[in-house]
Amino acid sequence: MTENAISALRAIFGERLRTSLEDRICYSYDATGKEFLPDAVAWPLNPEEIRRTVLLANEHLFPVVPRGAGSGFSGGSLPVRGGVVISTERMDRILSIDSENLVAVVEPGVVTERLKEEAKKQGLYYPPDPASLKFCTIGGNLAECAGGMCAVKYGVTRDYVLGLEAVLGTGELVRTGVCTVKGVVGYDLTRMLVGSEGTLGIITKATLKLIPLPETAATLLAFFPSNEKGARAVAGIVQERITPCALELMDRTAVECVRRMADLSLPEGTGCALLIEVDGLEASVAREADRVEEACLRFGAIEVRKAADAAGRDNLWKLRRSISPAVRQVNPVKINEDIVVPRSRLVEMFAFLSDLSERQDLKIVNFGHAGDGNIHVNIMISGKDEDERGRADKAVEAVFRKTVELGGTISGEHGIGIAKAPYMEMEVGPLGVSVMKRLKNCFDPNGILNPGKIFLEESAVRR
Amino acid sequence: MRDDELRALTGACAKCGTCRTVCTLYPERKAEISVARGKIALIDASLEGKDTNLDAVQEALADCLLCGRCERACPNQVLVEEIIMKGRADAARGIGIPAWKQVVFGRVMPSPKGREAAVSAAAAAQRLFAREIPSASGLHYRFPEKFGLSGRTVPKLPKKGFIASLKPKEAVSGDVLLFVGCVFDHVFPQVGRASYETMKISGSDIAVFRDAACCGLPAMVSGDRDASLRCAEENIRRLRAAEPEKIVFPCGSCLLMFKRNLFSLIPEKHELRSDAVEVSNRCVDYAGFILGSGVVSRLPDPPEGEKVGEIGYHDPCHLTGTLGKGQEAREVLREAVGSSFAEMKGADLCCGYGGTFNIRDYPTSARIGRNKISAAAEGGAKVVATACSGCILQLRDMAARTDPGMEIVHLAELVAKALSRR
Repeated sequence: MTENAISALRAIFGERLRTSLEDRICYSYDATGKEFLPDAVAWPLNPEEIRRTVLLANEHLFPVVPRGAGSGFSGGSLPVRGGVVISTERMDRILSIDSENLVAVVEPGVVTERLKEEAKKQGLYYPPDPASLKFCTIGGNLAECAGGMCAVKYGVTRDYVLGLEAVLGTGELVRTGVCTVKGVVGYDLTRMLVGSEGTLGIITKATLKLIPLPETAATLLAFFPSNEKGARAVAGIVQERITPCALELMDRTAVECVRRMADLSLPEGTGCALLIEVDGLEASVAREADRVEEACLRFGAIEVRKAADAAGRDNLWKLRRSISPAVRQVNPVKINEDIVVPRSRLVEMFAFLSDLSERQDLKIVNFGHAGDGNIHVNIMISGKDEDERGRADKAVEAVFRKTVELGGTISGEHGIGIAKAPYMEMEVGPLGVSVMKRLKNCFDPNGILNPGKIFLEESAVRR
Repeated sequence: MRDDELRALTGACAKCGTCRTVCTLYPERKAEISVARGKIALIDASLEGKDTNLDAVQEALADCLLCGRCERACPNQVLVEEIIMKGRADAARGIGIPAWKQVVFGRVMPSPKGREAAVSAAAAAQRLFAREIPSASGLHYRFPEKFGLSGRTVPKLPKKGFIASLKPKEAVSGDVLLFVGCVFDHVFPQVGRASYETMKISGSDIAVFRDAACCGLPAMVSGDRDASLRCAEENIRRLRAAEPEKIVFPCGSCLLMFKRNLFSLIPEKHELRSDAVEVSNRCVDYAGFILGSGVVSRLPDPPEGEKVGEIGYHDPCHLTGTLGKGQEAREVLREAVGSSFAEMKGADLCCGYGGTFNIRDYPTSARIGRNKISAAAEGGAKVVATACSGCILQLRDMAARTDPGMEIVHLAELVAKALSRR
């Protein structure tokens, strides 16, 4: 960035613009472990400041990279071409929770759990629950279309967005969508922005759908001798005509990594564990939990444990939510993919993964939202061995090919970012990519917003 | 910075961001540099030889309360407190430790006589410069703004410390030693006295560790590991000579120093390492001793007509959080004051003191502390008991500012009061 551009930014943000190396280092990473230094970091307090930033960026041609909590796994918030990081962490007001119309209006920096808690106080429920919900922000969730544990029953972030306010790459402030349950006026720009990873617009406000809070829930932990057996049980539970609100699979290594968090003992012969939660009315939950338990045992569970109370449930959830960072105990470098296959093909996918791990001599840890066919495939490498790195890259590509072959998708919830850009075409084809690029051009003709993401080749943003 | 050990410690951080959820300081700063993940990234960058500014890195590392909440929440068990303290020490090696700190940590703190002299001088200065204020919470002086102390209130320093007030015939050696700590000796001698008197009820042979050096924590967290090591060596040698069965700490921070920090300070090959292990194993917290030694069974029944929930307990981060000693204090309180004690809203929130942090950024420290007092008051607490000298200094200051009726006491004072009803 030029000095002129920096001083123009300083005129907008004053002390809330930082350019010291130390401040920039702190906004150079996310949970991918990759680092790219921005030229500056700014903390806007309102949409107008973001709008003026984007106008300046068009004038001086520097990248603008929106960032929530920096907890993403695909590099969506990394300033790969430098420029200014727009941290939304200080735009963190919940503007309203309307219990009559079941909507919430929030700023992008609101931490997801806080919204869930505030909604809960009014007997309402905002279902999306990424594993990082305690620190990730709504803005980041919207930009990446985050999923979570309860997607199997309630869907993902996209399913709870009624309308948005966003600054486009042109510097225009656009309002999309509705604040009602229905609305079919023209193209669905809201859905266009959700999951666009900050490449089409910077979300400055969101109108979100809430639902009534389920009366109660029951949580079970079932242990199986292998991933394949666990996967069969997943299909079995669904065939029981029960839709759990969570149906999570953790392979043995994943459970080993987090046992400490929940002070958990494993029954002998454990190859995988399923964490299952059912929610709803008091009367139905107990019955459903029993039926889940029966189904697990019928499909070969070694043991099924039920959480006795809220503390027990929290403990089991802590176990699941801690896995992602904790698997680094296996090896320091984590290549983390989030493929989805149709539930009926899970068994096939797990067989493929265990074969791949053996064939390529790689440590692969699998866990994830098996209930919706979403598996987090984590290839754990030392990071020091070139040959190992090469094998890992080959394995990633093989996993994606198999996923698409099984009728699945290469990213269920992390997005493309920089991590999956090379594989985009594998799934959506050349025409798909081309249409997306043409759309990007409408929203952001100068390629200002979050360059270097989603697409391999990049429009020419100068620094 | 060039510390391989440090690199090994920071390598465990997965940059997930969990530390953002629990950081005491993050709500105040709302910037990544204030949380563990940012500080670790800065240390890594410095270790990799990036062109970081040492002053700026030191500034970032100093901006931490060392409450340890991030460390306990971390799914990868990253030793954040150790990283911050080591990082501060490395930075201090590059920049130098300020002269006044060198004198205080290196000369004054290890020596009981040195501390006595320094406290006398401070008491004289206090009478000259500060304004006496009436306060129910026992705070007596408010410093004027112009002294750069932002009008903070501090306790009136007593003419004589607790140890200095001991009569010559009061026990000089025993099976159980009371490590009273600098603050409970010189600033709040009544806490030292209450601890000692209540411990005596146990029937054990109780003595005060009269010639103790400072525990060394203030020097260690300031990055002056040499001065801290000197304190530790003094203490271990003297304790080895005294050979007590148990060493009892009324202050959670002093206990943390002996229970945990000692081991990063004293390397495995150090001649005192095995003695340090031995000493550390014998160290216990005040509430733990009171519970285990039969004092509790000698407490009279709580008085009739007690006010439910009037007394709360504040969890010192080091004692409850890091060392996991929270239940013992609660059990003692239940025995001493009955249902006057009830769990306080926000009991486990950090008070915002953070030792040197309170000096470097008093306004922020005070905001965090005021939130703590408001939470306690909201739940109806009129008396807040705790068991750490730093927390007491902070909470008394904050109570004097926002809720002068609120009384901040050490657990031992409530036990002493209960015993006085016998």
